[in-house]
Amino acid sequence: MDFYGVFLDVWPMLLQGLGMTLKVSAIALFIAFFLGLASCLMGMSKVFLLKWISKAYVWVIRGTPFIVQLFIVKYGFPQLMKIWIPEFNIGITTAAIATLALNAGAYLSEIFRGGIQAVDVGQMEAARSLGLPRGHAMRKVILPQAIRICIPSLGNQFIITLKDSSLAQVIGLNELFYQGKIYVGYSFKSFETYILVGCVYLLVIAALSYIMNRIERGLDCGAKG
Amino acid sequence: MAQKVKVRNLYKSFGSLSVLEGLDLDVEEGEVVCMIGPSGSGKSTFLRCLNRLEEATSGEIEINGQRISQKEIDINKVRENIGMVFQQFNLFPHLTVTENIMMAPIDLKKMTRAQAKKRALELLDRVGLRDKADAFPKQLSGGQQQRVAIARALAMNPAIMLFDEPTSALDPEMVGEVLQVMRELAEGGMTMIVVTHEMGFARDVADRVIFMSDGHIVEEGPPKEIILHPKEQRTKDFLSCVL
Repeated sequence: MDFYGVFLDVWPMLLQGLGMTLKVSAIALFIAFFLGLASCLMGMSKVFLLKWISKAYVWVIRGTPFIVQLFIVKYGFPQLMKIWIPEFNIGITTAAIATLALNAGAYLSEIFRGGIQAVDVGQMEAARSLGLPRGHAMRKVILPQAIRICIPSLGNQFIITLKDSSLAQVIGLNELFYQGKIYVGYSFKSFETYILVGCVYLLVIAALSYIMNRIERGLDCGAKG
Repeated sequence: MAQKVKVRNLYKSFGSLSVLEGLDLDVEEGEVVCMIGPSGSGKSTFLRCLNRLEEATSGEIEINGQRISQKEIDINKVRENIGMVFQQFNLFPHLTVTENIMMAPIDLKKMTRAQAKKRALELLDRVGLRDKADAFPKQLSGGQQQRVAIARALAMNPAIMLFDEPTSALDPEMVGEVLQVMRELAEGGMTMIVVTHEMGFARDVADRVIFMSDGHIVEEGPPKEIILHPKEQRTKDFLSCVL
C-alpha cells in the first residue's frame, strides 16, 4: 500500500482527467437542461406530433443502455452519414457530450413534467384569470415553481450524468477514470489508483450536492423552517 | 347604466354530469350580486364560465359588451377586464407581495415597471397591507393573502370582479378583514359577483341575491326579500340550515 507515492505520481493525470470529466458533464448538462425542458413542454402540448416526438424520445432513451447509445452516436450514426458524406466523422469529445446530453435530456424531461404537474392548478388559473396567455403563465408562474420542486431530482440527475461520463472512456475519452486506467496500465497499482479515482468522484459529487442544497435553500421564498 | 354581464341560456356539463341547466343573468354596472346555495349547486362553475376558466357547453355570455362565448375572441384581452379572487388565494409563492400585484400589468404591457410599482403600493394601501409589500405570501396570514389577491386582481383595473367563495378557506377571525375590503370595493362602485356563504355580507352589501340549486336559479331579488322572506321551499330549507 503506497497511497501517498501513487498519489504524488498520478495526481497530474487525474487532475487533467477531472478537467475533461467536468467539462464534458457541464456542457452535456447545460444542453440537456434545455433539451429536457423542450421535450417536457412538447410532451404536454396539445399538438399530437410534438407530443409524439417527446414520448418517443423518452421511450427510446430510457429503454436502452447508455453505452449502447454511446456506440450508436460514435460509430453507428457516422457510418450511416458516410453514405451521403464520405468524410463524416464525430469526434470523441463531441460524441460523449452529445450522448450524455441526449441521455440526461430524456430523464430531465420526465423530471420537469413531474415538477410542472406538482404545481397547484390554481396557479395556472390565477395567472390566466389576470389575462396572461398560456405561454407567459408557464414561464412566469409555473416553471419557476416547478424548477424549485425539481431541484432534488435535478441534483440527482447531475450526479448520474457526471458518473456516466466515466463510461465514455470506452470510446477513448480521456476523462478521470480513463487516466487512472492508463496509469494502472504501466504502474500496476490498481488498488491505490482506483481508490483515488473513486475518492475524486466522491469529492466532486459531495461538492455538487452541497451546491444544489444551497440553491434549494436560496429559492425558499420565505418558507419557514 | 351600462350592462356589464349578460348571460343567456347557459348550459355546462362535465361528461354526463349536468352542472348548469339554462342560466340567465344580467348585471348592471356597479351592481353587487351575491350567489348563494348549497355546495354542488353550480355557483362556482357558473362564475368560472364567466371568464372561461370553464368552457360553457352552450349558451351566450357577454361581458362588458363582448361576447366571450365566441371561440374566435381573444380571451386573454377579455380576462384583463375581469378580476377573479379564488377560495385558495392562489398567490404566486415565488414572488413578493408587490411582485404578485405588478406581474400582470408589466407582462401585458399595460404599465411600465415604475407605474406598476406605484399602482401596487396604492392598492396595498387600500387593502391595508402597505407594510407587507416585500413579504412573500407564505409569511402572511390567510386573510392577508386574500387581501393581496384582491389587490392583484384590481391591478389590471378590471370592469368587473368575480369572487369565488373568498372567505371559505379562512380562519373565522380573518373573515372580517377580507369582507371589509370587499365592502369598500362595493361602495366604490365596483361591479361584483360574489359566490359566498356569508349571509351577513350578502344581506348588507348585495344589491341582489341569487339562490342557486341543482344548476338552476331558484329565486333572485333584493337581499332582504331572499334572505329574510324567501318564497321558494328550497331557499327556505337552505337558509334554515345556514342562518
